[in-house]
Amino acid sequence: MPIKQGQVAIAAVCVVLGVMLAVQFRTTQDIKASVPFQRIEDLSQQLSKVEKEREALLSEVHALRSSTSSETYNRELQQVKIKAGLVPLQGPGIIVSIDDSKRPTKPGENPNLYLIHDDDILKVINELRAAGAEAISINGQRLIASSEIRCAGPTLSVNNTRYSPPYEISAIGEPQTLESSLKLRGGVVETLQFWGIQVTIKRPETVKIPAYKGAITFQYAKPEEEAKKQ
Amino acid sequence: MILPIAGLLLGIIIGVAFPISVPIAYAKFMSVALLASLDSVFGGLRAGIEEKFDNTVFITGFFTNALLAAGLVYIGERLGIDLYYVALLAFGLRIFQNLAIIRRYFLKK
Repeated sequence: MPIKQGQVAIAAVCVVLGVMLAVQFRTTQDIKASVPFQRIEDLSQQLSKVEKEREALLSEVHALRSSTSSETYNRELQQVKIKAGLVPLQGPGIIVSIDDSKRPTKPGENPNLYLIHDDDILKVINELRAAGAEAISINGQRLIASSEIRCAGPTLSVNNTRYSPPYEISAIGEPQTLESSLKLRGGVVETLQFWGIQVTIKRPETVKIPAYKGAITFQYAKPEEEAKKQ
Repeated sequence: MILPIAGLLLGIIIGVAFPISVPIAYAKFMSVALLASLDSVFGGLRAGIEEKFDNTVFITGFFTNALLAAGLVYIGERLGIDLYYVALLAFGLRIFQNLAIIRRYFLKK
């Protein structure tokens, strides 16, 4: 027996130690079993946030219901008009000017390669739309859902109006995004410039885009509900 | 050697049998106090082996160490200093030191 002294005292203290061990063990088990305090706080914060949001939305619904229906109708009409291109718009954006190649055609080469075609313009338009352009016009012709862009001999037909180069494409949107979307490496502008087609991009303070000037008529298409009645 | 182990077992049985529980907020203090008592027990064992054991020193050391450690952690929490880790480190080091000395005595025999 190596311990010569104080066996009783150590044993007594060991009893206390044992009790503490058991209590601590149980407490640790409790902590593991219960939901962490941080989590509770997070959840309650989220709950109060969502409740506030719900209240705000409820009051909005009430306000909308109680307000005159013509007011909301007018607001919706304005929205639809803007979307349809019937309202002139202005805002930040870019103006892209595109002109035919000045490079002399080498003998035996197809001169068509150095001219602007409808698909070049379409590519630019597509890229601008992908970059979030909200309104686009070509030489002052607003592009709407039914606008066409096609070659008509040496000219370009947009909204059934013919234009010859240079073409000026205006777009409203985040100017930086629009410009960089066109100037992507291997993108539209680089491809066009390869053929000597001149592309310049300007970023004026405000870009003005006119309304669609033509008439919108539907000869064949009818809303689904009316067609059912007939 | 049998008596301390028997005491420990008795203590554990008492602790398990009686549903004593510390609130979760105080679990930290309890753990430091536990470590301090563990240190005291090892210190006592070492003193017993070295034949330098003093009953009053041992008993008072046991309680003051545990209470002081818990109190220090409490003050540290109030002041924003993590004294918890300091106590943990100090007691841990001492436990291992005492253990090493006890082991040497056993090996010497």
